[in-house]
Amino acid sequence: MKILKLVFRNLIGNGLKTWLNVFVLSIAFVLIIFMQAILQGWDRQAMSDTVKWEIADGQYWNANYDPFDPFTLDSAVSIIPKELVNQYETGQVEPVLIVAGTIYPSGRSMPVLMKGIRAGQQLLELPTSLLMNPTDSADIPAIIGSNMAHQSGLTENDIVTLRWRDANGTFEARDIRIAGVFRTFVPTVDAGQIWLPLDILQKITLNSGKASLLVKSKEVSVVPVDGWNFKDVDELTRPLRETLRSKTVGQSVFYVIFLLLALLAVFDTQTLSIFYRQREIGTFVALGMTKKEVMGLFTLEGTMNAILAIALGAVYGVPMFLYFAVNGIPMPSGTSDFGVAIADKIYPAFPPKLIIGTILFIILITAWVSYLPARKIVKMNPTDAIKGKIQ
Amino acid sequence: MIKFLLKGLMRDRSRSLLPVVVVTLGVMITVFMHAYLSGVLGESLEKTANFTEGHVRVETRAYADNFSQLPNDLALVGVDTLEKRLERLYPEYNWVQRIDFGGLLDVPDSSGNTKMQGTVMGKGIDLLQSDGEATRMELKKLLVKGRFPSKAGEILVSDELFEKLYLSLGDEVTLISSTMFGEMAMYNFTVAGSLHFGVNVLDRGMMIADIRDVKAALNMEDAAGTLLGFSKNKLYNDRQAVATKTDFNKRYESDEDKFAPVMSSLSDNGLMGFSYAFIKNMAGFIILVFIFAMSIVLWNAGLISGLRRYGEFGLRMAIGENKSEIYRSLIGEAALVGIIGTIFGSMLGLSASWLMQEYGINVGSMMNNSSLMISDTLRTQITPFTWFIGFIPGIFSTVIGAMLSGVGIYKRQTANLFKELQN
Amino acid sequence: MNKKTIVIFLSFFSPLLYAQNYPSGNSLLDKIDANMSSETTIMTASMQVNSARATRTMTLKTWMESDKKAFTEYLSPAREKGTKMLKLDNQLWLYSPSIDRTIQISGHMLRQSVMGSDLSYEDMMNDTPMQEQYNAVVTGEETINGRKCWVVEMTARISDINYYSRKLWVDQERFVPLRMQLFAKSGKQLKEIALSDIRQIQGRWYPMKTVYKDVLKDGKGTEFTVSEISFNPSIPGNVFNKSNLK
Repeated sequence: MKILKLVFRNLIGNGLKTWLNVFVLSIAFVLIIFMQAILQGWDRQAMSDTVKWEIADGQYWNANYDPFDPFTLDSAVSIIPKELVNQYETGQVEPVLIVAGTIYPSGRSMPVLMKGIRAGQQLLELPTSLLMNPTDSADIPAIIGSNMAHQSGLTENDIVTLRWRDANGTFEARDIRIAGVFRTFVPTVDAGQIWLPLDILQKITLNSGKASLLVKSKEVSVVPVDGWNFKDVDELTRPLRETLRSKTVGQSVFYVIFLLLALLAVFDTQTLSIFYRQREIGTFVALGMTKKEVMGLFTLEGTMNAILAIALGAVYGVPMFLYFAVNGIPMPSGTSDFGVAIADKIYPAFPPKLIIGTILFIILITAWVSYLPARKIVKMNPTDAIKGKIQ
Repeated sequence: MIKFLLKGLMRDRSRSLLPVVVVTLGVMITVFMHAYLSGVLGESLEKTANFTEGHVRVETRAYADNFSQLPNDLALVGVDTLEKRLERLYPEYNWVQRIDFGGLLDVPDSSGNTKMQGTVMGKGIDLLQSDGEATRMELKKLLVKGRFPSKAGEILVSDELFEKLYLSLGDEVTLISSTMFGEMAMYNFTVAGSLHFGVNVLDRGMMIADIRDVKAALNMEDAAGTLLGFSKNKLYNDRQAVATKTDFNKRYESDEDKFAPVMSSLSDNGLMGFSYAFIKNMAGFIILVFIFAMSIVLWNAGLISGLRRYGEFGLRMAIGENKSEIYRSLIGEAALVGIIGTIFGSMLGLSASWLMQEYGINVGSMMNNSSLMISDTLRTQITPFTWFIGFIPGIFSTVIGAMLSGVGIYKRQTANLFKELQN
Repeated sequence: MNKKTIVIFLSFFSPLLYAQNYPSGNSLLDKIDANMSSETTIMTASMQVNSARATRTMTLKTWMESDKKAFTEYLSPAREKGTKMLKLDNQLWLYSPSIDRTIQISGHMLRQSVMGSDLSYEDMMNDTPMQEQYNAVVTGEETINGRKCWVVEMTARISDINYYSRKLWVDQERFVPLRMQLFAKSGKQLKEIALSDIRQIQGRWYPMKTVYKDVLKDGKGTEFTVSEISFNPSIPGNVFNKSNLK
């Protein structure tokens, strides 16, 4: 304890320089945590959005269903399997029927996917309650995502003609009313899609009781069903995770350089103080400390920089983290062509693992950097040192 | 005065060497780091620019409004004339034509009947007349099978599609799409090779063909979906792009035609604009941290050399210089050290950056597959700013370091300083 | 109660609705068919396609036999010349000299438009005589281009059909439709067809000019102008052979 006190007093006694060192280190510390937190937050958000908006606890796909081939959709519908009828009735699986169609906003035709979902469903975040048809309206209520709204130029309460072919190939067209535009960052429930009430879509496309896929709730376990393939969350989110992971590679090099810069200052200061304080070192040895102990003392002193930096970083970092964790970091709207969706706000995530890990990492690496110059002490001749002779 | 200080620095190596080395190292790291950041962070920006957006892009107003549908019926016509005009008006850009289209790839069996079909997203770019576009889109490194198209009618398809359609190299396939006038387009292509993009949407079903073939296939003689402009110094400069855009759009202000050309800049895509601003601000951050860290180091260096030079100062005072004169000369010295160190450091940093820019560091083994979006080669990027970034921290930190360490002069008595001479 | 019985029911019990002496819908369709369709037909026509940017005209020659078989060859412009199309029952092949391949148009490809026109390939596929597909009821009289017309409302009697209902304005003297509207099941109009330039050829009245328009889309529609037509010529059987495509 005494030693700690001593080390601490030495460090504080160094005044402005210590504080500068500590400050630089704290910036590196806060920045690393913050940038990691943004990435983790983004990652979490993207994953949880996908789960909430699209896949819940996984999906049963009709064996013929291929989301990337809209031309095969007609053949990828079948009756909700009897194994899942109970779960369907209790809302533990939600069927989605997908049919290709065309809308005609402002005189142009635009191919769309019509997706039918129960208005009363609770499984997905989609605001399907807007699909409950008000009795006085003949138009079919529909909801679309903001991206789709942008693509098609449609807004809430717009009426647009939707044309499709029923199961017999007969042309059918109806006006639909955009009952709501929802904001989501899951492009796979948004772009080029129109959500309609399941019962209506089943009826108008002559697909009564049929679905293309079934979304499963967490409450029920997977049942093998003939003609349907279950895709779990892991499988459905793999492309997304791969994209996000690739983002971290470039960043980690950036941390290393950043930290290097901050540690350069610690290293230099440490070298200087050992050089400067030879008399002190000599005295310590004269007083009975072994050279190893003195070395430990100086290493500790250097490491203390990191501890102070963490404390200082916490002083301005914690309020900043808290602010952004609560309010989010506003992001611009826009899409990258590579299909990565970005939320309008990213809420950085600060899991304890991240904070503790970064703290340990910085302390260890600072200790190492402090230890390197302190090794010189072992080689010192104590008598020369006490005289203050430069060695 | 400067000459005098320089001489002193040259002759007293211990006075100059360490600080110069420190500044050189520090500046080198800063310059390199800036180039690295511009390279790695800027890469996704440039990738998007190169692949789809261009630094500036020209399309018809109607096309811009319906871009998500790849509406080739709304494409630019008279595009060769327009391209020439753009080249004349804005020679600081390389202008290229692109056509994006969708369709079906039909694979025949030996008797010409349909064997397999797959949906494709296509891109028509200049593949044959010059290497420019292939280099820009870094297509060659994405090649998995076969070779690059060398004559008309040859295409590259994504490897996933290649496998899905059971293609072999040299197979003749038919693109079924619709022409600019909405009729069904059919055109034969030969599969020359396959690409792995490492980006899901593209790997699913991408084909890349020479733009002349695409024009013939889609009945788009002298028409193109977009005209992209790429800054000749290869880097996106938002100010330049916005100025070009404003100037160009002013020329068509009074034109009511929905087929009039309209220009947009990369930063008009919100996400790209954000990335651009982010990279710019990141540079500021590095400089700040660097100034702090280097100031400490140089402060330390100044202290060490000051320690040795207290005697000298005592002597100079005895001759009649006063403390502030000595202090100023110290700062002058530091500034010189800063300049020299910065020049060396920038040179070293730039060379290192240049090497990494040209050759790159392959981290492919760390990532196990190549990808268009994240390149398996880390590259730096020397921007005009990289040339100067070292000067700000290099000189600032030496001067601040000298100012901090020089304070010691004021703290000591003249007599004490003089006495140090006797040691 | 299906649609047909409703119609019968209505015509029986609603004398007010059919107060005038309207001809029966089906007899009217018979007369149209007798006028316009023949066992075999050969015609040369031009098709003017109005797209967003340009108007293009192409010429073609068609051989038809009994609504089931049709062979079309494009004569101009250069890009289209040599493109051939063969329809046999409900199959459709397209040969394009530029690819030197014959492609069967099926599935979703049928939804593509023919040469950029407002007609899709599937519009061309459905040539079964209208009486077999629809129940027709005459519901009124209107004048179009100065000619008195019967208004005929047609409702599908089979489920496997493109357009659930149609409305026709049929010239009362010449038994040629002057206007047609095609509807979706919901009653929403999808296509508008105007027929004009009615001429007498081989004793039949025939509309030489037809304008097709997809009403859901902006645009001027597609003009189809017959320049030459002959009814019941003899057509060698090998015309409708797949080998004739190449």
